[in-house]
Amino acid sequence: MATLTGLRGRLDEVVGPDHVRTDEGALVTFSTDATPLERGRPDAVVFPATAEEVAGVLRVANELGVPVVPRGSGTNLSAGTIPHRGGIVLVLTRMNKLKEISDAELVAVCEPGVRTLELAQAAAAQGLLFPPDPGSQSTATVGGNVAECAGGLRALKYGVTRDYVLGVQAVLPTGEIIRSGGRLVKDVAGYDLRRLLCGSEGTLAVMTELTLRLVPAPEASGYGMAYFPDLAAAARAVSRVLASGVLPVTLEFLDQVCIGAVEDFAQIGLDTSAGALLIFGQDGNPVVIEHDLERMAGACATEGATSVRIAESPEAASEVLEARRAALPSLSRLEPLTLLEDATVPRSRIAEMVEYIQEVAQRYELKIGTFGHAGDGNLHPTAVLDAADGSAVRRARAAFDEIFARAIELDGTITGEHGIGIVKLRYLERQLGADHMALLRRIKAAFDPNGILNPGKLGS
Amino acid sequence: MSTADITPENAPPRRGVFTPELLDRCISCGFCLPACPTYALTGVETSSPRGRINLMRALETGVLPDDDPTVLEESSFCLGCRACEPVCPAGVQYGELLEEWRDHLWNGRRRPLRVRPLLWAVDSPRRVRAMGIVRRHAGRGGEAPGPVNLMLGCFERFLYPRVSRDARKLAAELTAPAAQGCCGALHAHNGELGRGQELAQELGEALPGTIVTTSGGCGAHLAGVLGPERVKEFSQWMVERERPLAATPEEPSLDGGGAPGAGQAAGRRPRIGLQDSCHLRNGLGVWREPRELIASVGEYVELPSAAACCGAAGSYSVVRPKDSARVLDPHLDEIAAADLDVIAVVNAGCYRQLQQGVKRRKLRTRVVHIAELLAGAGGRAA
Repeated sequence: MATLTGLRGRLDEVVGPDHVRTDEGALVTFSTDATPLERGRPDAVVFPATAEEVAGVLRVANELGVPVVPRGSGTNLSAGTIPHRGGIVLVLTRMNKLKEISDAELVAVCEPGVRTLELAQAAAAQGLLFPPDPGSQSTATVGGNVAECAGGLRALKYGVTRDYVLGVQAVLPTGEIIRSGGRLVKDVAGYDLRRLLCGSEGTLAVMTELTLRLVPAPEASGYGMAYFPDLAAAARAVSRVLASGVLPVTLEFLDQVCIGAVEDFAQIGLDTSAGALLIFGQDGNPVVIEHDLERMAGACATEGATSVRIAESPEAASEVLEARRAALPSLSRLEPLTLLEDATVPRSRIAEMVEYIQEVAQRYELKIGTFGHAGDGNLHPTAVLDAADGSAVRRARAAFDEIFARAIELDGTITGEHGIGIVKLRYLERQLGADHMALLRRIKAAFDPNGILNPGKLGS
Repeated sequence: MSTADITPENAPPRRGVFTPELLDRCISCGFCLPACPTYALTGVETSSPRGRINLMRALETGVLPDDDPTVLEESSFCLGCRACEPVCPAGVQYGELLEEWRDHLWNGRRRPLRVRPLLWAVDSPRRVRAMGIVRRHAGRGGEAPGPVNLMLGCFERFLYPRVSRDARKLAAELTAPAAQGCCGALHAHNGELGRGQELAQELGEALPGTIVTTSGGCGAHLAGVLGPERVKEFSQWMVERERPLAATPEEPSLDGGGAPGAGQAAGRRPRIGLQDSCHLRNGLGVWREPRELIASVGEYVELPSAAACCGAAGSYSVVRPKDSARVLDPHLDEIAAADLDVIAVVNAGCYRQLQQGVKRRKLRTRVVHIAELLAGAGGRAA
């Protein structure tokens, strides 16, 4: 590739030769993220330390017309950080300074490479909470979570990452450094670019500093669980809980396939004859927690729960949560290939959607377990299969095509929290329509006239 | 390439370097990254467990050749601490993959030069016995094997002969036959998987019944070959044995001679930290037991990095002394900050590593094996 001649030297000038990798082995290890089966070999991997270095890399890339794919820890599940068109992988993990946690202003300021759990722990040490808690929070970076607008288990009560981004510093693909928002809760000067960048999947700009909103940490939390003969009954219980004026912090469910897989693996005494398991929880003042847990337990019983249990101790609570925590590990151990999806539907359609998923799984002779966030309708249908079985892989693709189509029909979305990346781009137009897609492309072109930033994904 | 493009018809052929079930286990979630000491040092995916598994996969499918410099470097840069295993949601047995990797790559000329004399020394039981001949370890009585046998170790019997003597002082029912060689862990971790398994089998025959070892690393390797029911690490065995410690009073008097940190800690319980043995913790799941035992003789202080590799990592400190020292540094910082009287170890390699580090930094903390600590002999020259 002619444009790549001299790329290494130019990158060395920007970040120093110690922070550029072009050896074949390194390129192999940056060819993938957490998305199964997808790969693309980059031409160089660069580790900048400052916004100025990021700008320098982007200017070089613009000049040479080389794609740039920003990346944090590479826990992406939609191939959004895979360089399928080659070019530069821009790794932001060296920018990992946690600059400030202010309990007086309820804000945190950090660089994009800080791990989300690190931020959450630093906030907790000052009695504060950073609510977004995606499953990958121990590894994933704040920058990556903002770029993907990560969700998590607390979304019903606390919202998603978008609701906690107050301000960003970002480098445009053409090399200019801008700021949008800041430390203010109220600030309507200009278009809300910080929110546009949140969830833009590294296609519009590279975020180099984030100012995030924190909330006071709840005093305590409590949990309970209920078994139901089928998911429809569990879904009715969820509706009843919400209609009763309780806004729970946790409302997670496992379908029968997941219950079986967890019990086989973890052996924690789950009732494998049940059709669904609902885990509910509340945080805040202990008196409120007790009251809300009782109301939730009551709603479950009314809707036909076969057994309901409120955890009386932190150990018991940990046991209750273990069933949910073990869902993905248990499923993933069944077969070499785990396809974890995130189709999302309105709460009232959960039972319908999960039944449909089971029907599709049977039709295509696949094992698909579904767990997820009953409170916000975010489902995780998870297919497990043998990667070497080409027929199974093709059947899984066809099955997910139908599942996504159904999610759209039910006023849902093809992705609740994993993003579009490469793998869902072909479903996007079906959900958004042609005019909306054209607008996305015009926005993308306004930010990135030469189309160098994460090309072939969102906005392409 | 996307899902649609991969079919068994065009899947790249495997070379048979790795057991397919082991290599296919990884789902690339990346949960291992924050647990990996070499990822912490570099921040580079290539030096993480997931990155290394991607290198193994590239090697297996011929995308990268055996002599690729990155593949060789990473196979040696990895500490082999297996801290990635307990955090893996998919249950990847990384330690076994690493052994297969080195077994393939390090055959012949690619084995690091500094490993060769070490492996030679412990390859024959005769040479191992010769190493201990001048030292007063527990195995000099010419005993025949009993129902519960104490393993003397290879380098341990030479470097730290007091450990086996103190273990016996604490538990008289331990027999210590002299006719025993090396367990083979060093071989297995350095590219001679087959020989490592043979040595473990030989040791299993020399020591019938239960084998108790004072080195966590040896314990994990032996248990992997002989089965965990036959092999117990010392602290694990002591706790499971559920007997009061033979030689240790419940509340040791610290103003008398022989107690750990005697002299400097008069009148208060000594502050004692622990350096976990990686393979003991990550391989055998044993970590509560040594803490429980330490708490019976002093004030146990959990260091933030207690569970992380100290950089000894078998022969790593010999093969890659600079990296090994970088891995050790934060541990020494923590030991100094906590102002420990004693740092206890449960593995011979960690013993040497911490002793050298503490000496280099001129810290007042004494490094003792848990058997020495319990026997009230901490810190005194053997």
